[in-house]
Amino acid sequence: MQILGQLIVSGIAVGMIYGVIAFGYQLTFVTSKTLNFGQGEALMLGSLVGLTVVAYTGYWLMLPVVLAFGMVQGAVVERLGVRQAIRTGSESGWIMATIALGIIFKNLAENIWGRDALKFPSPLPEAPLSFMGVNVLPMEIAIVVGALGMMLLVELFNRRSIHGKAVVATANDRDAAGLMGINTSLVITFSYALSSMTAALAGVLVAPVTLTGASMGGALGLKAFAVAIIGGLSSGFGVVAGGLILGITETLTGYYISTGYKDVPGLVLLLLVLSFRPSGLFGTAAIKKV
Amino acid sequence: MLNVEKLVAGYGKVEVLREVSLDVPEGALVTLIGSNGAGKTTTLRALSGMIAPWSGRVVLDGAEIGGLPPHEIARRGMAHSPEGRRVFATLPVQDNLLLGAFTRITGSRPKGDVAADLDRMFALFPRLAERRAQLAGTLSGGEQQMLAMARALMLNPRVLLLDEPSMGLAPRLVEEVFSTVARLKAERVTMLLVEQFAAAALDVADFGYVLENGRVTASGPASALKNDPAVRAAYLGQAH
Ligand SMILES: Nc1ncnc2c1ncn2[C@@H]1O[C@H](COP(=O)(O)OP(=O)(O)O)[C@@H](O)[C@H]1O
Ligand SMILES: [Mg+2]
Repeated sequence: MQILGQLIVSGIAVGMIYGVIAFGYQLTFVTSKTLNFGQGEALMLGSLVGLTVVAYTGYWLMLPVVLAFGMVQGAVVERLGVRQAIRTGSESGWIMATIALGIIFKNLAENIWGRDALKFPSPLPEAPLSFMGVNVLPMEIAIVVGALGMMLLVELFNRRSIHGKAVVATANDRDAAGLMGINTSLVITFSYALSSMTAALAGVLVAPVTLTGASMGGALGLKAFAVAIIGGLSSGFGVVAGGLILGITETLTGYYISTGYKDVPGLVLLLLVLSFRPSGLFGTAAIKKV
Repeated sequence: MLNVEKLVAGYGKVEVLREVSLDVPEGALVTLIGSNGAGKTTTLRALSGMIAPWSGRVVLDGAEIGGLPPHEIARRGMAHSPEGRRVFATLPVQDNLLLGAFTRITGSRPKGDVAADLDRMFALFPRLAERRAQLAGTLSGGEQQMLAMARALMLNPRVLLLDEPSMGLAPRLVEEVFSTVARLKAERVTMLLVEQFAAAALDVADFGYVLENGRVTASGPASALKNDPAVRAAYLGQAH
């Protein structure tokens, strides 16, 4: 029982990370019907940039730097990989372009930070707290709080501020939003910036618990994609539920079967998603919402 | 105020508008009538930047706006209530209206008193006031049309483009739409009204243009057009 509780707690922390990445997929999908398949690499870059910056500033001052870096990185992805595809109405150009950019970012990271997994200093005590015999790392709590906090802030921004409403308007009807005087190209660039920013935050939240390194992004990005499809690409916090289910399933698999198979549930989920919704991955989710 | 000269536009390689010229003087209500597929919607789309004109000039307040992106044109004071209403379905009525004032709230147009204008819209369209917190997607067709018009008015436009505000509405609501247009005209809102109900449109308008196959085939004071035998035969027949 205690072990089960332990596994669930660890699974929650990982699951929140999937949830945040999937949330990032949603952010760009609603405004542009495109997404960044290099989202895992955005997380990895955020985490590695954070690792470099943290040596100078400490953890908390590092956060705004990493968030700003994430925004710039996301805007670059949109400008280089997505904008042209949207303009020409290309159905799939952005898919190849964002995958290619992800690979470039990974190579870049390997050259700067090397190929090895690196330890990320934890800003919180590394001694676990004990609740009814279940050990919880303070950093795991920080992951949950940070992830939920970020999503709530974005939601609040969308609902309360006029610029957030402009984002929602663009998601509803891009042409009509343009008629309101909203620069919808800029909104799409902004949603990419926000999307990479959430990934970068996820990167520096998860790194102290796992490890960081140039190859940390790929599997995370793929599994979170499956979570996003299941949880809903259009909106909502379904991605949190989806992320948690996957995170917990993974830790259970890791313990009861073998840590070697830890990644399998997520990838199986991805395969199932791809085989049950082969053509309508993007389309149906969009139509259902409108 | 709004001058259009030899506007040519279309979709892909298909030319729809063939040198359309028209004028909308300040404070006037000008109507553009014509049968289905004549190019009325395309004209409005080319004016507000939803599609880029191929050639010709679009001049608003003396400045060329042809080819600018839609948000730039809106910032210069053109409001467009598009065909099919296109309200923001997942946002409440009030947010739809605030978005109509986006350029004012964000400082690219003179701010004025947004809150007072919101109240004015709720006075003009009392049914929207009752539903201000309701999601726009859950409104009836008539209410959505009112919302689309009110949203466009929130820009405090120099000129307002209205694309078939009566489309798909019950007769009672069509009447209501026309009386609203008449009220706006009395307030000297400059308007270009596209309508399928040609007779009713010519009744409220100052000037009219008849569009056929992407060409202006007749124009003049609305009262003169109404009595033009050719226009009567083609557009004011038994159907309307
Ligand atoms: N999005 C579009 N793509 C291609 N052709 C279009 C499009 N919209 C309208 N058309 C064509 O342009 C012509 C004019 O249409 P439109 O401007 O909508 O006419 P109206 O508003 O007068 O009924 C029609 O022949 C129509 O088929
Ligand atoms: Mg039309």
